[in-house]
Amino acid sequence: MLTSLFLAAVEAHGAVTGASEPGLIEKFGVEWQFVLFQGISFLILFGVLYKFFIKPTTATMEERQSKIEAGLKYAEDMKVQLAASQQETATLVKNAQFEANKIIEESRKTAKDFADKIHKEAAERAADQMAKAQQAIELEHKKMLADARTEIARLVVTTTERVLAKKLTEADRASYNETAAKELTNA
Amino acid sequence: MAANKKAQQLARQLFKLSLVDGLVSADRVAGVLGYLEKLQPAHPLAVLKAYQRFVAIELAKSQAVVEHAGAVSGSILQTIAASMTKKYGRPITASTRANPKLLAGLRVRVGDDVYESSVSGQLGALAASV
Repeated sequence: MLTSLFLAAVEAHGAVTGASEPGLIEKFGVEWQFVLFQGISFLILFGVLYKFFIKPTTATMEERQSKIEAGLKYAEDMKVQLAASQQETATLVKNAQFEANKIIEESRKTAKDFADKIHKEAAERAADQMAKAQQAIELEHKKMLADARTEIARLVVTTTERVLAKKLTEADRASYNETAAKELTNA
Repeated sequence: MAANKKAQQLARQLFKLSLVDGLVSADRVAGVLGYLEKLQPAHPLAVLKAYQRFVAIELAKSQAVVEHAGAVSGSILQTIAASMTKKYGRPITASTRANPKLLAGLRVRVGDDVYESSVSGQLGALAASV
């Protein structure tokens, strides 16, 4: 573009000054063939540079850009996942704490129930043993009374027999025998 | 064991042959003893012991043993014999046996039956009831 502007300016100056005087372009020794050759050389050089340097460099930059974007996206995703994970972890910790508190509460209740049951059974056993001991004492008391009554009766009968053996006369015995005979024959 | 059982059975049969009208007959007993002496059955001693026991039991049923403490008159014995004869429906004779442990009163045994009206018996009943 710069070259075309430069050529247009030279042509305009040539038109003003007249065709008889050499133009500025001729003064500077600019040859259209060289300029064209240099333009073609520049284009070839540009094509070679574009083919082997600019295009790979651009591709590499685009690849890096995409990698950077992917990395940023991955980091963003990781951030979101981390937040979700932290939230989930917090929820899990909260639930675990709730479950732990529940288990502890149930354990306390179970321990209390067990202790109450043990106390109740111990009290029942104690009451049962007391009742059995009371019954044993009453039975022993009754047995002792029965033994004492039997022994007293035996002593009374023995004493009475001894007294009667000494005190009863033959007449008394004969009279008793007659009464006994009547009782036996009438029975 | 079997021999003893056979001896018992023979003795029981001989005892039944010794009864006349439900009473032991002296003549029949003599006949049975003569039979045993003559024929000599197996295990004669066991047969004789069993026969003697059956006869003794039967004779005891015909005898009232009156145990007494103190004097017992003949009229009392006759009264008891008559009462037991009437009760058992067979002639029963009364015999006496002194027993001072009765203190006073009578105890009459007829076979396995015992009738008692004595001071000792009443005291025993009193002690048992306490």
